[in-house]
Amino acid sequence: MKSSSFGSPERKTILYSLVFIVFGLLAFRLFQMQIIEKESYEIKSESNSIKPIEQIPLRGVFYDRNGEILVNNIPAYTLRITPEFYDRKLNNTIEKVFDLTPGFISDILQLNKIYPKAQPIRIKRGIDFNQIAWLEENHDRLKGVDYVVEMQRGYPSGVMGAHMFGYTKEISPQLLEKQKDYYQMGDYIGYTGLERTYEKDLRGEKGFNYVLVDAKRNEVGKFKDGTQDKVSIKGKDLELSIDAEVQKVAEQELKGKRGAVVAMDPKTGEILALASAPDYDLNQFSYVTSRAYMNQLYKDPEKPQFNRATMSVKPPGSTFKILAAIAALDMGVITPSTIISCGGSWFFGRSFKCHTAHGPLNVVHAIEHSCNVFFYQLIYRIGLDKWAEYCKRFGFSQKTGIDLREEVAGFIPNTKYYEKMYGKDWPRSIMASLGIGQGEVSVTPLQLAYYTSLIANNGRTFTPHIVKGYRDDFTKKLVPYKFKEVDVNIPKKVFDVVKEGMFLVVNGGGTATSIRMNEVKIAGKTGTAQNPHGKDHAFFIGFAPYDDPKIAFAIVVENAGFGATWAAPIAKKMVQAYLLKGQKNVNTDAAPEKGDREDAGHQQARNTKNKKAGNSFNDKNVFAVLEENKLKYARRL
Amino acid sequence: MRVDYKLNDKLDFWLFIPTLILLCFGLAGIYSSTLNNHFAHGNFQKQLFFGGVSIVLFFVIYSLPTNTFKYAAIPTYIFSMLLLMAVLVVGKKTSGARAWLVLGPLGGFQPAEFAKLGTVLAMASYLTKTSVDIESFKDIVITLAIGLFPVGLILLQPDMGTSFVFFGFILVLIFWKGISLFGLYLVLSPGFVAVASLFGIYYFIAAVVIVAAALIYFKKNIFISGSIIAANLGAGFFADSVFTFLSPHQQKRIESFINPSADPLGAGYNAIQAKVAIGSGGFLGKGFLAGNQTQLQYIPEQWTDFIYCVIGEEFGFLGSLIILICFIIIFMRIIKIASSTRDEFLSLVLLGIFTIYFVHLFINIGMTVGIMPVIGIPLPFVSYGGSSLVINMLMLGIVANVHRTRKNYT
Repeated sequence: MKSSSFGSPERKTILYSLVFIVFGLLAFRLFQMQIIEKESYEIKSESNSIKPIEQIPLRGVFYDRNGEILVNNIPAYTLRITPEFYDRKLNNTIEKVFDLTPGFISDILQLNKIYPKAQPIRIKRGIDFNQIAWLEENHDRLKGVDYVVEMQRGYPSGVMGAHMFGYTKEISPQLLEKQKDYYQMGDYIGYTGLERTYEKDLRGEKGFNYVLVDAKRNEVGKFKDGTQDKVSIKGKDLELSIDAEVQKVAEQELKGKRGAVVAMDPKTGEILALASAPDYDLNQFSYVTSRAYMNQLYKDPEKPQFNRATMSVKPPGSTFKILAAIAALDMGVITPSTIISCGGSWFFGRSFKCHTAHGPLNVVHAIEHSCNVFFYQLIYRIGLDKWAEYCKRFGFSQKTGIDLREEVAGFIPNTKYYEKMYGKDWPRSIMASLGIGQGEVSVTPLQLAYYTSLIANNGRTFTPHIVKGYRDDFTKKLVPYKFKEVDVNIPKKVFDVVKEGMFLVVNGGGTATSIRMNEVKIAGKTGTAQNPHGKDHAFFIGFAPYDDPKIAFAIVVENAGFGATWAAPIAKKMVQAYLLKGQKNVNTDAAPEKGDREDAGHQQARNTKNKKAGNSFNDKNVFAVLEENKLKYARRL
Repeated sequence: MRVDYKLNDKLDFWLFIPTLILLCFGLAGIYSSTLNNHFAHGNFQKQLFFGGVSIVLFFVIYSLPTNTFKYAAIPTYIFSMLLLMAVLVVGKKTSGARAWLVLGPLGGFQPAEFAKLGTVLAMASYLTKTSVDIESFKDIVITLAIGLFPVGLILLQPDMGTSFVFFGFILVLIFWKGISLFGLYLVLSPGFVAVASLFGIYYFIAAVVIVAAALIYFKKNIFISGSIIAANLGAGFFADSVFTFLSPHQQKRIESFINPSADPLGAGYNAIQAKVAIGSGGFLGKGFLAGNQTQLQYIPEQWTDFIYCVIGEEFGFLGSLIILICFIIIFMRIIKIASSTRDEFLSLVLLGIFTIYFVHLFINIGMTVGIMPVIGIPLPFVSYGGSSLVINMLMLGIVANVHRTRKNYT
């Protein structure tokens, strides 16, 4: 057996077969990998060695209507931690050095657990130079801790604009899930206000530089010499219709109060100022917002993050009387000469009070003196549903469509609503108070400003908007956005009548004569909405100049009292800031020309004043005179 | 013409030319993979130097009287065993294994490389003693002992890859010697059960069942059957303890072979990157020095065990296939020479040499294309490494020598 089987042909065949089987196997495997599955390996190989490096473009800045920068970008240093290399024992030290609350880092790391460990996580933005020095000194000890330069939002103009501008924030995992096509973990995205509405314009388009990396992810060169790189596109610089000066006045005047101010250009629908108080400091959101500050904001009973200008709803009080007047005149249920007599109260199922017995009044004087009895009756002549329809035409009970997402529609009742609430035989007396803007009406300050704009511009305006357009990067010229034109289709003569009433409110014997000015004629209407929970809310709407309205406004001060006392003075200051801008110096020269449009009496009065104050226009003197005047008039609603 | 014929008759070009091609591919791969690596600069020159040295050595061995190998067999074996023991004491430790003897400026030397040849010579020498009967239990045990003694020493380094090579040629040598099917079964079944046990308890049980079923086929008596089953069970448990005895990086590699994507950045990393390199090469490859996996150092120390990836990536399917064809020609040649020689000793030595190359090739290329676990073992003639190249050329010299003098023995 021994000699016959040594190296027998059978055994040789077995060895040959073994060799061919193994070669067949290896060759087949090579064929499979290199020919059949080639592409999938190619993709893996490319993604292996090509790393896209994101180029985040500069976010667009905000200009005001006069070219002043409201929001810009400023470089800041951001502290980051890369979990893969980071030792959690460092938490305490880092929290101490960077003024973070204990537990802050572990919380953030916990939140970011869903992301790859090699991805750096931002811990704090805007760290200072001492902290950077500390990082550099302890570099070896701080594995996985570094800092980068990033852009953060800056607010150089002194305008707060918290609710209007809004803030950007690191994108949340939930939001990221929905918008994976563009954003990545750690990207900033507009969360509120204009930053949110115009996110797509502001962010620009990310660029990518493709670099070759070795197995240790070290960059070793450009991929295809950078020919495949995508250049980032800078965000669009937005031009806002806001007037920084008017906005500052509005914010200043609301300090320490609760309320909202909206000012518009009635001809264009452009928002000149939009403020809500109390507000908050946007600078706090430029950094990784401290938890303490966030808690403070959330816990504050005044709700500083709530945009009262667009989201708070209240019955508008007597400012709503204009609407009833317009409806009645337009429908022809009254004429300008229709007289209704006020005996101090009116009985319809029950007694409805007026402030005083006004006697016989036409519609102009009814507005001037804010007579309740006149408007109690008017609403019955108009009819509830017709009135509700006019409300709708003036933008109530619906969102105005302003370029802020934070907006509510408010509410206007109609027959259907009352039937639903109180049954078919709902007491008709409920309607009466609607005529004077009380009861189940609720409107936002923005809606009031829009409505006032429509009145001021005889029923025509545009959808309210804060952003006019963007500035072309090369020509530096404005590329305007399109906004919808609105026309309520009511003849000018109707508006002339109510505007005369509003003129007299300030310049006649009305409720807001305290803010009368010789330089600019303001027309307006005060309002005081009853508040079952405390002091009344003060309202003032109006526009100026009377004969060529350039600014329309609505002011609400919550729990303040009379509209004339609390809301109207803010209007005056805004009008001064907007229309008398820069006149401190040019006043004397400009006075004669300006005087042409004014009556002789006012001209004279102004001249006297100018003499008193010398060459410069002095606010204080004007106020002193107005204070005196104020006392002369009985305050009325 | 006559001179050519004579030369061709003596020096086997079918053996020599494919080897030169492999050497050139190896040099190209080493040049390419070390081009961007600062630590491996000079490896190409070193390999070129050792290539020259080994070709000279090849011709020296080629020219020796063929009897030399017979006389040298036992001394070579003893010397290589001493080296293996020495390396365990004074060897240099690299990546967890004590496998290198430092030899001054020439760098290191791996005694295990030398021990392969020594063991083949010794086993061939013993098996061709006239008194030896491969069917006798005693002779099988002695043969296995000669072969497994160095395996034990090598596992102590530990170097698993090389021990596989030993298993390979031990098996082929007793097979070529003419062991019966039952004898082969006796030798093989414990190893089969041992490997199966590494995959888990169910594989282990299945393997034992297969072994038992085969026993029924051989119709041996109950005593022999019982002891065989016992030996197999023992082998299974022994393998488990050997597994725990392995160094952690080797355990990980075995585990990652069973499931390579479980830890893509860890032990499975090389396996995945190697496949990506080869697969992305396509038919013609990305071109010399143009493979991004290679040039960007995605595979650590690619010039040694993963050299085949460089060729696969930069020279594509065509280049990879040329390598395989070169090997197949060499293998066919060795088997042909081995079977044509009448001298059993030389025949066995050649078969041993064939098996050494063959196991190296199968494990090395197998791991780079993902059909074998990642076991560190070089590709003969291609991978970077002086001692491996020198020994491989030396062994090839023996084959060529036998071819040269084949007529004296036929």
